[in-house]
Amino acid sequence: MVVMKQIPHLLPLGLFFCQAIATLAEPPRSVIPPQHRAVLQEHCFDCHDSQSKEGGVDLQTLSFEISTVETAERWQKVLAVLNSGEMPPEDETQINSEQKTLLLDDLSAQIVVARDVLTDSAGVITMRRLNRREYENTVFDLVGVRIEAKDLPSDANSQGFDTSGGSLFFSSDQFEQYLALANQALEAAFVYGKKPGQKTIRRESESLINPRFSRLRTKLKKDFDRAAQWRATNGQQSPAEFGFIDESDVKFHERLHRQQYASYVRYLETPESKTGVLLNKLFNGAVVDTITIPGNWPDGEYVLRARVAALEGSQSKERFLEHGIVGDGARSGELKVIGCNQVTGSISEPQTLEIPITVKENRGFGLRQRQPNSRAATRAAFLQAQVKTGVGPPAALWIDWIEVTGPVLETWPPPSIGKIFFKGMWWKQPDEDTYAREIIQRFAERAFRIKSPSKSFLEKLFTLYAEAREDGVNFPTAIREPLAVIMASPGFLYQIEPAAVLAPESIEEQNRNALPPKELETQPTQSRIAESGEQRVQQSSKRSTEQSTEQSTEQSRELNDLELAVRLAYFLWSSPPDQTLYEIAKQGELKRPGTLTRQVNRMLDDPRADEFIARFSHQWLGMERLDFFQFDAKQFPEFDESVKQAARREVYATIRSMLDENRPLSDLLNPDYVVINDLMADYYGIEGVQGSDFQKVAIPQGSPRGGLLAMAAILAMGSDGTRSSPVERGAWVMRKILDNPPPPAPANVPQLSRLVGKLLSPREIQQAHMEEPQCAQCHRKIDPIGFGMQNFDAAGKWRDKITLQQTAGKRVIKKKAVQIDPHGQLPDGSPFENFLQLRDQIAVKNDQFARGFSEALIEYALGRPYGFSDEGLRERMISQAEKHDGSIREYIMALVQSKKFRTKK
Amino acid sequence: MNKPSQKQSNHGRRSFLRSSSAVVALPFLESLGFRKHAAAAEPAVAPKRLVFLGMGFGVTRDTWFPNIKQTGSDYELSEGLQPLADHKQDLTVIQNLSNQFSTEAHWGSTFWLTGANRYAEPGQSFYNSVSADQVAAESLGRDTRFTSIQLGHKGPDKSGHGPGLSLAWNRQGKPIAALNTPVAAFHRLFSDDDTPLAERQAALRKKRSVLDTVLENARSVGRGLTQTDTDKLDEYFQSIREIEIRLAKEEDWLDVPKTRPQQSPKAPDEGLEGFEEVKVMYDLILAAMQVDASRVFTYRQPLDTFITSLGATITAHNMSHYSDGARKEVSQMRDKKQSELLARFIGKLKATPDVGDTTLFDNCTVTLGSNINSIHYLTNCPTVVTGGGTGIQHGRQLVMQDANTPLCNLWLSLLNASGVKTESHGDSTGQIDELFG
Repeated sequence: MVVMKQIPHLLPLGLFFCQAIATLAEPPRSVIPPQHRAVLQEHCFDCHDSQSKEGGVDLQTLSFEISTVETAERWQKVLAVLNSGEMPPEDETQINSEQKTLLLDDLSAQIVVARDVLTDSAGVITMRRLNRREYENTVFDLVGVRIEAKDLPSDANSQGFDTSGGSLFFSSDQFEQYLALANQALEAAFVYGKKPGQKTIRRESESLINPRFSRLRTKLKKDFDRAAQWRATNGQQSPAEFGFIDESDVKFHERLHRQQYASYVRYLETPESKTGVLLNKLFNGAVVDTITIPGNWPDGEYVLRARVAALEGSQSKERFLEHGIVGDGARSGELKVIGCNQVTGSISEPQTLEIPITVKENRGFGLRQRQPNSRAATRAAFLQAQVKTGVGPPAALWIDWIEVTGPVLETWPPPSIGKIFFKGMWWKQPDEDTYAREIIQRFAERAFRIKSPSKSFLEKLFTLYAEAREDGVNFPTAIREPLAVIMASPGFLYQIEPAAVLAPESIEEQNRNALPPKELETQPTQSRIAESGEQRVQQSSKRSTEQSTEQSTEQSRELNDLELAVRLAYFLWSSPPDQTLYEIAKQGELKRPGTLTRQVNRMLDDPRADEFIARFSHQWLGMERLDFFQFDAKQFPEFDESVKQAARREVYATIRSMLDENRPLSDLLNPDYVVINDLMADYYGIEGVQGSDFQKVAIPQGSPRGGLLAMAAILAMGSDGTRSSPVERGAWVMRKILDNPPPPAPANVPQLSRLVGKLLSPREIQQAHMEEPQCAQCHRKIDPIGFGMQNFDAAGKWRDKITLQQTAGKRVIKKKAVQIDPHGQLPDGSPFENFLQLRDQIAVKNDQFARGFSEALIEYALGRPYGFSDEGLRERMISQAEKHDGSIREYIMALVQSKKFRTKK
Repeated sequence: MNKPSQKQSNHGRRSFLRSSSAVVALPFLESLGFRKHAAAAEPAVAPKRLVFLGMGFGVTRDTWFPNIKQTGSDYELSEGLQPLADHKQDLTVIQNLSNQFSTEAHWGSTFWLTGANRYAEPGQSFYNSVSADQVAAESLGRDTRFTSIQLGHKGPDKSGHGPGLSLAWNRQGKPIAALNTPVAAFHRLFSDDDTPLAERQAALRKKRSVLDTVLENARSVGRGLTQTDTDKLDEYFQSIREIEIRLAKEEDWLDVPKTRPQQSPKAPDEGLEGFEEVKVMYDLILAAMQVDASRVFTYRQPLDTFITSLGATITAHNMSHYSDGARKEVSQMRDKKQSELLARFIGKLKATPDVGDTTLFDNCTVTLGSNINSIHYLTNCPTVVTGGGTGIQHGRQLVMQDANTPLCNLWLSLLNASGVKTESHGDSTGQIDELFG
């Protein structure tokens, strides 16, 4: 039976190898189409043929096949001078636009191919240091404490993923940071003694707010009356006699009264203010109801409860309560938003919200009616309403009370300490030193992911402990030292996969001999000063190309079960394996196809996979751009911090839901559902969604939502916080959906400036992009897609018209609203009339999307750039997924089952 | 592969250091045996000092560069450089320098001081080489408490610097970390530990045992790794080696309290951001020079928060893609503020006495610039050099005849003129003799 079951697995594997061989037989080549030779001949050879070689540049013998760094460098320079307009010289005949566009297009594309070929690491996986988040997770797994390693250098990698071993450097400051963080984690983990009791603190803020507002009301009134008295004198008396500095001071107080007085009166006269806090917008920011956890309560998990209600007559979009941290220096009304809940209770039937919170450095928590996180924006909204009604916007939410209870401790002492003091507390042990040795050894093994540390290493660790003891340090402090050192050792910080598996004896042997590491490669001799540009180019390659082929023949071997478990766990959890996975690996069972499949499924179903989903998607889709800009709160008041967070989570939640339900990857392009919560539903104008949990909802008739292209997060990324950017959006679609990334924006292209200050529609600007071949080569492909998405504004809301502005300096001198014209065509010519058709056209390109997704997945999982030798793997992932209706889960499954994932190279 | 000598086990760590870093650390190793100057005894000849200020995204093209036709002393300062008018006689603007391998239009600092070709190594998508400041530090940094000081800003790079942790790259072409806030820089440079000497000595010993221990583990995990992984692990070894060297220096300096200049800068505020942050960093560089804490400084400056602090509401990236209008105004405002801060720094350098009759200004060389010219342009890198440390004949605009003169020619010239004998740097083709008259 077992054998029978395995057959289907074997079959595609065989196919895969055939494909791989087929791919390898034809290594990718970067060849500039030969028809361009005529252009070079006509326009360049006069000066740059083999005889003239003006400026040391000979294009006649320059190979049209780019196979070395030197050739790439020369073509790069040709591209550069064409782009900058430096060549052909001004007084020579210019290349005609169409020819030039095609030449630039081919040349830049081929240079990209050449760079990819030349930088291809031939599948070699560079040993990975734990990146910042893996490090945090691994520390948590080891000692049970969540630390924030935000001071470690950022591992964000503009070239790829934060799992890419080659890009994960190690600087000398880092070592000391690791040591300090480990000490911090261990100190926090060493909790013993009596279980701290749970305490509750409750706050009813009206007792503070009402007197304060009452005072303000009285003062505003008094100042206004004084001003009126002075006014009554008709300027006969000096303002000073009425307590003002001068007339402008009088006006100032009158203005304050006009702006604020009525809103305080209304606040205090609203009956609900007697029994609770109204979350109003006021002139000086929003009302935030706060609670502070006393400083002597321990750090940990707590529960925040609040009895709340929505006031009658308030708008549904206002009925969201934000909670967050009131940090030091937070200005009135500002909050570091953590989350957002819809309020469904009413004054007659309030509801009690329960929100889990983590108490660490920050002890002040606040609740606020949802709004842009900027006092200026709140003031603007206040004033806008105040002008109309005289009192500012009414409150939508009411809070009866807030309370915090905790710490919430499920077990005591916490399991973390048991992981370290595995036999119980040291004072109960017969011999502390022996126990110390055992603790060190056990901890090191776990830290090194079940790899035995060498005896001499353990001995040195013990000495650290023993010396501290000799100095009179107590046991828990003394034992912390070696444990922290373990957490700063390479065995912990790197995913070590030796080239060959060493037998245990040989490890011991080597430890005894303690060989020094190999000599560093000698620095290249500083080359003598070269004369011509050509020669300098030749020196640009540090190593000859032959060496790279030599490197690629480095032997590879199959991972053992434990190594596979570690790779798998960091891929799907960004954490070390759990007990179950270790056990299976130790029994040598993990590689059995059935077992591996079951484990992958189990791991994907585990909440720890959420991190994989979020961090992978974030990097794959380039979502760091979402944090590049502050969205203009006046222009996009609804795109506040809560919506931005929810919009980001929508992307992750959608992929999570697809994994859970085995949905096809193509659901990201044109599905009939969205995965949203109450807040996003409100933002999208979709009714009937309740709760802050993300849920699958059918798209109502007439809504343009559905798929990545219509997600607020993706659309907002394609803007600069103020205006939507057809170029950004178009380039993103080319890169992420169509697997056809435009070449990097070229350097030295002259900027278009003659149109500045004119009242032009984006379309007209696009036309200008097409005038210059340097621009047209890419923009003719990118821009039309972006224009197809113009019906979404910078914050991803639908619009039919776009407002053009003509400015002179900062002043807007002319405004005009024009109808959006979304029609266009994809790079392959497929036409579309509007966004919906564009989305349909793109959904047809699911194959391209699947390729890009697979490549990203390979890169993330293997921790190295996608290479040409990975094409076979990519195709197999796609075909295996296709057999399961394109299921997103099958891509992951195919990758994990592949030889590459299971091989150290 | 070398066989270990029998004596290895006796001085494991030291001999390991020696054997594995023959090329790299030789200049440093000399410093291990080096005994510091008594802190009070001033050197008879003022030391040379080098400061590199990297600004990220480029400048406003038509208003920052002086008219390229006006060369020599007969040139007018541009609008963007106008705030430097008081010091016009003491600075040099150089045009037509660039790094020939630059292709990344958003990387203003990655290769600025190295001139490397990102694609130089087949099979690797990123390569870099040693930066000019680190070459300088190998000799200029020997006699000071800190071999070199790297300053930076916090948060991810939104300022157009590109990959890297500071402007500095070590001999292996790996990034060197920076002190990213004025507070961190202040404490590193000036805060002393109050613990008694004996305790600090004990702490040093402990640090050494810790390094010894992790090296033990590094050696055992290093067995049987692939070539690529061995190279990777070497970063770890290298970092331990650097700490070793630092500890050796620390030991040398253990009984010398960190000094602060008489008019000592105050401990900076935590939340300092934008131009105020740059200003304080300049003050800290100045103070560090005053007490000779280090002679080589690099500063990768914040730009995103810089323009925000000037009232802009756009990002630095957005600014860098200016066209006529609001974005260009921000870019110009930034140019001016930057020049103003540099002018203030120069003023202070001139007002601070150094050895003999000289001032700090006389003995240092400060370069402000970026690998990015403006927008996406990568040729003619904006470059201003000031300070009397290298004997440059200031008061001129120098326009290089070859429009693609390697920026590394400037670094090579500054190195040699600062007494750091160097034959070539990066892709240099020779020194810029015109600098010196």
